[in-house]
Amino acid sequence: MNWRVAVGDREIEVDLAKLPELKEVEPGVYSVLLNGRSLVFRVASVNGAVLVDVNGREYKVEARDPRAAGRHGRHTVGEGRQNICAPMPGKVIRLLVAEGDPVHTGQGLAVVEAMKMQNEVKAPREGRIVAVRAKAGDTVTAGAVLVTIE
Amino acid sequence: MFSKVLVANRGEIAVRIIRALHELRIPAVAVYSDADRGALHVRMAEEAEHIGAAPASESYLRIDRLLAAAKKHGADAVHPGYGFLSENAEFAAACEAEGLIFIGPSSQSIRRLGSKTNARQLAKSAGVPVVPGTEDPASDPAQARETARGLGYPVLLKASAGGGGKGMRRVDREEDLEAAIRDASSEAERAFGSAEVYIEKLIADPRHIEIQLLGDRHGNLLHLGERECSLQRRHQKVVEECPSPLSSSRPELRSAMGEAAIAVARAAGYFNAGTAEFIVDRDGRFYFLEMNTRLQVEHGVTELVTGLDLVHLQLHIAAGGALPLSQREISWRGVAIECRICAEDPEAGFLPSGGRILQLDEPSGPGVRVDSGLYPGYDVPFEYDPMLSKLMVWAGDRATAIARCRRALGEYAIVGVKTNLAFLRQIMDDPEFARGALHTGFIPAFMERRPAAGSYPELEEMAAVVATAHVRAKNGNGKHAATPAVASRWLSSGRAEAMR
Repeated sequence: MNWRVAVGDREIEVDLAKLPELKEVEPGVYSVLLNGRSLVFRVASVNGAVLVDVNGREYKVEARDPRAAGRHGRHTVGEGRQNICAPMPGKVIRLLVAEGDPVHTGQGLAVVEAMKMQNEVKAPREGRIVAVRAKAGDTVTAGAVLVTIE
Repeated sequence: MFSKVLVANRGEIAVRIIRALHELRIPAVAVYSDADRGALHVRMAEEAEHIGAAPASESYLRIDRLLAAAKKHGADAVHPGYGFLSENAEFAAACEAEGLIFIGPSSQSIRRLGSKTNARQLAKSAGVPVVPGTEDPASDPAQARETARGLGYPVLLKASAGGGGKGMRRVDREEDLEAAIRDASSEAERAFGSAEVYIEKLIADPRHIEIQLLGDRHGNLLHLGERECSLQRRHQKVVEECPSPLSSSRPELRSAMGEAAIAVARAAGYFNAGTAEFIVDRDGRFYFLEMNTRLQVEHGVTELVTGLDLVHLQLHIAAGGALPLSQREISWRGVAIECRICAEDPEAGFLPSGGRILQLDEPSGPGVRVDSGLYPGYDVPFEYDPMLSKLMVWAGDRATAIARCRRALGEYAIVGVKTNLAFLRQIMDDPEFARGALHTGFIPAFMERRPAAGSYPELEEMAAVVATAHVRAKNGNGKHAATPAVASRWLSSGRAEAMR
């Protein structure tokens, strides 16, 4: 049986019959010997995905059992409603758009401050603001919806 | 010496100070905000006191609460670390008034040097060169235009009370001046509570070199040489080293700049540790910028090369001791490099990245020092600076130090929070960096030429395989479930040992 595994933008099929010998040397740390090469993979679960760190590179991996309820459809970008979320936890400094405003790709929507740095959240596509879900001064968590574009 | 010291800071610097206190057998009092209950410095200290909510303005910047904590715990001195209240004259004065020793200069010296414009005037009066410009606040647009025209564009706007690039703007054309002053003023107002900005001539692509100073309460001053701090991003230092690569081609600079720094310190009646910042132009002319009246983030590279412990010396001086050595006894051996490890994503415009440290491996081995506040499971709060730790290496020469730094960065693994580790490794691989051709425009130029993040299809495939095995093991259905390989016999015998 094969699992379909998303690694970043790639989808990779993993044949369960051919899993190599992995040694979990510490919790979440796997030593892999591959054709004489020694590699260390560090694995940690976050929000349903798995982070895999190898050679200082980090991959976000979605590995799901195909027998479990169907894979979550990847939300499509470019049509329909889209929630624009805070990229990191922080404080909303100001909103740059109001409900009903038309926006173009790359237009600033809100300014979020974290760790003394202000970051502008930009529109990923053009559309119209149908809802503003945050206000200046709000403390938000990563992934909190700031505005909705249609 | 002191009987107990309150550390009015957090993160790696609080840990570093507590270590020095423990070496001197002085109990430490930690303070913490709501966000830092689980922080390493709280655990390491003998005593700890909660001082308020997560935002710094409600905790680490609250003079009243810090003083109350010191009093409650019976501390007789306060170490402010860097940042927060470390350069706040009011805090130093409040400590003095309460009979607490402020481990730093006097409130009077901080006042004299605290505003950049005051420090410039002081330096000028001490005969130390400063960047051409004016100390008058640029409040009147007409006068500001005239000043800028006199200096010649490009000019640099700076916040009088500033630091860290806040309230700083480069202005290339007269028509941009007024708007830039407005922006810089409002940023300065927000960051420092003072909207005052002034105008300086912009020196193109200078090196940023600073001199470490030490002075005791008996009027003795000496310098511990320079640190090269040219690698900056948005005016925040990223990589620092001691000595400056420039000192091999211009060995006379160290003592010239050292003497200039001492002259400024003397004029300010300075004692304890401090740092005079200079810029050095392409012809080796140096200009005094400002004095940092505290321990610097990058003090460790000076420690590695001089063999001195600056925090020990700070405590010794604060307790009234005389400098235990003279200028002639200071020597510099080998090369030290520091990398600031930050929770930020270089591949996404250095966006800060909070979150939980899920896995952590810190480097060690020959010539490696890590000053860190991290542990596995630590939640990186988003309220404070994104710096997580400092990796410092020492080696006999610069090429070996770079190789060692690269090696140590490779050993450093932080999972769960995006960091600049890979970016720092690329810097260590950069031939321009190896040549020592450093200037403050280095990082922006490096961003243009650095190699793109490579694609490693084989590693991606292995990552998929390992993740699959991991998920299956966690779900309890994999026959390839990784064997818990830290052989349990080691653990169980260790445990049995501990139980006895």
